[in-house]
Amino acid sequence: MLSAPSLAPDRERLPVTVLTGYLGSGKTTLLNRILTHEHGLKVAVIVNEFGEVGIDNQLVIDADEEIFEMNNGCICCTVRGDLIRIIGNLMKRRDRFDHLVIETTGLADPAPVIQTFFVDEDLREQLRLDAVVTLVDLRHVEQHWESEEVQEQLAFADVLLLNKTDLVEEDALEAIRQRTRAINPLARVIPTCRADAAMDEILGVGAFELDRALAIDPEFLASDHDHEHDDAVSSVAFIEARPMSYKKLGEWIDRLVSERGPDLFRMKGIIQFDGESHRYVFQSVHMLVDSARDRPWRAEETPRTDFVIIGRDLDESALRAGFEACVA
Amino acid sequence: MAPPQALVQERLCGTCGNAITAQAWSADGEFLAMATAGGELLLLDFRAGCEELLRGERDSSLDVLGFSPDGRFLMAAGQNGELLLWEMGGTGVRPMAFDPVPLQAGWLDAAAWRPHGALLALGAGRRVRLWDGERRSWREESQELVRTVLSLAWSRDGQRLAAACHGEVLLWRPDDIDELPQRCATGSAGVALGWSDQGTLLASGQLDGSLMLWPDGAAGRGWQFSGFPGKVRSLAWCDQPGRLAPLLAVASTDIAVLWSQQDRGAKGWKPEPLVLHEGRVNTVAFAPGSSLLASASSDGTVALWDGRGRLQQLLEGDGQAITCLRWRPDGRHLAAGGDQGQWWLWPVTLPPSVRSRSQPSRPPRSGGFAP
Repeated sequence: MLSAPSLAPDRERLPVTVLTGYLGSGKTTLLNRILTHEHGLKVAVIVNEFGEVGIDNQLVIDADEEIFEMNNGCICCTVRGDLIRIIGNLMKRRDRFDHLVIETTGLADPAPVIQTFFVDEDLREQLRLDAVVTLVDLRHVEQHWESEEVQEQLAFADVLLLNKTDLVEEDALEAIRQRTRAINPLARVIPTCRADAAMDEILGVGAFELDRALAIDPEFLASDHDHEHDDAVSSVAFIEARPMSYKKLGEWIDRLVSERGPDLFRMKGIIQFDGESHRYVFQSVHMLVDSARDRPWRAEETPRTDFVIIGRDLDESALRAGFEACVA
Repeated sequence: MAPPQALVQERLCGTCGNAITAQAWSADGEFLAMATAGGELLLLDFRAGCEELLRGERDSSLDVLGFSPDGRFLMAAGQNGELLLWEMGGTGVRPMAFDPVPLQAGWLDAAAWRPHGALLALGAGRRVRLWDGERRSWREESQELVRTVLSLAWSRDGQRLAAACHGEVLLWRPDDIDELPQRCATGSAGVALGWSDQGTLLASGQLDGSLMLWPDGAAGRGWQFSGFPGKVRSLAWCDQPGRLAPLLAVASTDIAVLWSQQDRGAKGWKPEPLVLHEGRVNTVAFAPGSSLLASASSDGTVALWDGRGRLQQLLEGDGQAITCLRWRPDGRHLAAGGDQGQWWLWPVTLPPSVRSRSQPSRPPRSGGFAP
């Protein structure tokens, strides 16, 4: 297993936005918007399908997706070798840009891209992941819903753009919103037309900063989200008012990650430990785990633990039993 | 023991507009070329005492650079995917640019001239292509790898070429097109490749924090040394023979490690960590003709070590990270480049502990470069 990387926020490091979405979901439209928008940022873009971006820009760089298996082909240890090389070269021109956007192919699993920024020592030192932005084609997503790539792209997202609102009815939008919520209750969902999200919803999100670890949609927690769709990828959320045991929860997470790592896409938590005045924050991507002691609980807050797991083939009752056994 | 005598007393320096990405000396030591992340290419002509900007600043970087050993060509390549070539007319004569050659293989950063003559190996995506200076054209045959070529190295005799990518190192004889290439499996990506001077050992610095070493002209099974604190990003062989093998220096995170073979077999290799730098060691280089080792770091210093790992002198630039190092072929001058565009040239006096018996002595004739 890989050692825990430091995900500490660092203003010196270059923010990176990862852009995912199935074929035809509007990634190129969004890239063109990012490149032409007057947001005052100099954005460098690494694209996979060269020539698609219709803007003549020195900072559009072509890269061929190349997966490096770092450790016996385990999904948790795969990185994008092409990004290590290209970004290594690009960072020598660091003064030319202040944000990096990486477009993935429509059929890509986002995990290797994300892991690259935590596993490679040079990239980890010089860049920080800002957010994974996933575009969903409202008109066609129903046809691709069973695809593993679509579900993974939804699962890893910090920002979900439900795109092409002009092409679907309100109730269809709502149905898709519910279904994406069941897969990923952590992402911020934004309906868009021609990928017209506000730039500050996409760039500078800080989704991987630990102190912003958790923002579960209250609606998701309130609903008992009946499993009308039997998606392979789903999520579970636990809220616990009783303080947790540091030792028990740590051991449970270690065991969970080592046994189920490839199926656990993302986990996030804000944790109340027994006898601890500060809250703890936690997040993971597959087997990469990071946690930190955060700020003291505020007077107006009721300390509690919020914990979300997004993964494949999750056994909710077994996970709940495991989690509840960690109460102090 | 008396403190070691200072090896470096003076220096030349200058500035480019962008981070220096690569430096190269001509075989006769009369030219030094430097490339930058802003696409500049600066040529210093020592005999004529002048400098010329062969290529001005532009939107794409240059990342690899080299003179053909016969002195006829200078090559550069980088971000825009074109091979740039100049014909050198000798000192005082303006180099003549060829038309750029687009390769359609993305960012180019792996290229190496064969040690004699004018045959250039270039990593273009997953292919290694050969540009032949004699015929001024590409050789038809190229070598295909399973992944993108990350590093290239010619054996000293120019017979064998090695190319590293993720998962394997490929070895072949470019002059023997019928011979099947030899494939050496590696567990990760090779980012720094180098043959020992006698061609008996091939080393590869790996992304997974290990060093691979193949003995017996790479005919034997490879040895893997793991446990480095990070990727092995740079390596250099000493050109002086050792008792069993020449010294090998590698760089990983903020240390350089000097390897020597003290006994036969893989277990006979002993590492000597050179702990001094306070930032990433970007590159290591032995002075030609001696065992003097230079290590350049992001902490802004270059350290000079003797062959037993004893610090001889610490050279300081102006604080910017030092990204590249090139010894002049005479082994008496060291060029370095920084990530803010500063370059330095240090004349180096060899300490007695690193001198070899037959040392070519060629004093520099530096002209108009004021420090």
